[in-house]
Amino acid sequence: MAATVEAPVPAEQDSARCGTEEENRGAEVEEKSQQQQQQTSSTGPAVPHSRLSKLPLARIKALMKTDPDVSLASQESVFIIAKATELFVEMIAKDALVYAQQGKRKTLQRKDLDNAIEAIDEFAFLEGTLD
Amino acid sequence: MAERPEDLNLPNAVITRIIKEALPDGVNVSKEARRAISQAASVFVLYATSCANNFAMKAKRKTLNAGDVLAAMEEMEFERFLEPLRDALEVYKKDQRGRKEVSEQKRRDKERKADSENDKSREEEEEEEEEEEEEEDEDEEEEGPAVGTR
Repeated sequence: MAATVEAPVPAEQDSARCGTEEENRGAEVEEKSQQQQQQTSSTGPAVPHSRLSKLPLARIKALMKTDPDVSLASQESVFIIAKATELFVEMIAKDALVYAQQGKRKTLQRKDLDNAIEAIDEFAFLEGTLD
Repeated sequence: MAERPEDLNLPNAVITRIIKEALPDGVNVSKEARRAISQAASVFVLYATSCANNFAMKAKRKTLNAGDVLAAMEEMEFERFLEPLRDALEVYKKDQRGRKEVSEQKRRDKERKADSENDKSREEEEEEEEEEEEEEDEDEEEEGPAVGTR
């Protein structure tokens, strides 16, 4: 399967590079997850290693690094934030749906999001941040 | 290429997929709602990072680690995330260990191969002599062809 074929390539590149282990492995994961994204349609039922997170770790890491106070982030921490973001998206979508259903609608709309943000304590940090 | 928070969005296709999988069949999501959720997700990453970084700084560490993120989740009142996150982390760590072993094994194999190729040309003559001696000894003990240890 595609997953097993890919494995040797990043490993060789990894050993050839100098630099922090974290950065190397971060790059390795980035390459794989980018490849996975492109191959999504051809990938069979088996879940490739780096598909533990649906969101691309490279992008998450780049976002994290926009914070001037952040110097280094372990690969694990990037992964956990990616995973947490996934859970967050699931949660906010479901909470917003309640408001759509109250309005007898089957389509989630922007106002449902706004209602959820206003009503739910955990989403207070979002107030005033969305366009 | 300076990246600003506003320029970095999470891929729409992935966000859409996560949303669709979370909601029952037959439910649609408007484009504006999807965009807003994607934006919210980016804000979440930034907020979680900042929070986690505080824990790292408190512990006088320069590198953010998984524990900092978990502590941040609790601080942000997302305790419900803690268990699934811990589970996912275990799987991830196991996967990483496996991949590290694969790459280290490959590196070792490469080095071993390179070494043996270097030595071979230099010591070939000596080895042949040794092997012949060994063969003679082994023949006394066993019957059949002697096998070199190489």
